[in-house]
Amino acid sequence: MMSKEDLINRLKAIVSPYAQNKEALNSISEDTDFINDLKINSANLVDVILDVEEEFDIVIANEEMEKMLTVKASMTIIESKLGEK
Amino acid sequence: MIGNDLVDLRCALKESNWKRKGFLEKLFTPSEQAHILSAEDPFLHVWQYWTMKESAYKIYSRITKTRSFAPTRLACTYVSNGHGTVIMNSLIYFTKTEINGDYIHTIAAESSIQLEKIKIEIIQYCGEMPVYASKNPSCVSHHGQFLALVY
Repeated sequence: MMSKEDLINRLKAIVSPYAQNKEALNSISEDTDFINDLKINSANLVDVILDVEEEFDIVIANEEMEKMLTVKASMTIIESKLGEK
Repeated sequence: MIGNDLVDLRCALKESNWKRKGFLEKLFTPSEQAHILSAEDPFLHVWQYWTMKESAYKIYSRITKTRSFAPTRLACTYVSNGHGTVIMNSLIYFTKTEINGDYIHTIAAESSIQLEKIKIEIIQYCGEMPVYASKNPSCVSHHGQFLALVY
């Protein structure tokens, strides 16, 4: 079982190339919003999702992807997908 | 209520890869994917659809006070001459797209009459973002070198 901290760190590495606000990236937490805080361009959200799928070897359905606007929502989805394995 | 979205084509070329595995499936409906793949210039088609979805979503999310990343639930129909529609949860939005060598810009409105009344201002800039709050635009989109304001 992965710790929350490990999971946040792996997510941080994934979003890092797309995050335009590097300060917000450095202080990333469960409450961080991809668009409002990290200033990720909405056109790159799909890349974040595809990178998450590759990194964790999971498949995220379009309905699940709908909520993936924050670190917390992404962690919930990743944890539940990893739990199914 | 109106919305807009701009894609700087040089940035899109650099920052996104529409041929990436899973990219089209996550963003576009099967019918949109078919249109993209049979288009003369799939790259431009991808970003035209994307700006249509985004401009409509900006109205939808403000009206419903919800946020989501559900691009395949925003269904685009391209009519002609830059005009199209986007449907989300049975709400219809009318769109008009301008494409040139530098950018794609789409405006959206809740009616075709409202759409025709939209005033557009596109500013090119480097470095510092210009101050635009005093201009009181209805919607703003910025990507790469361009800032688009609509009134």
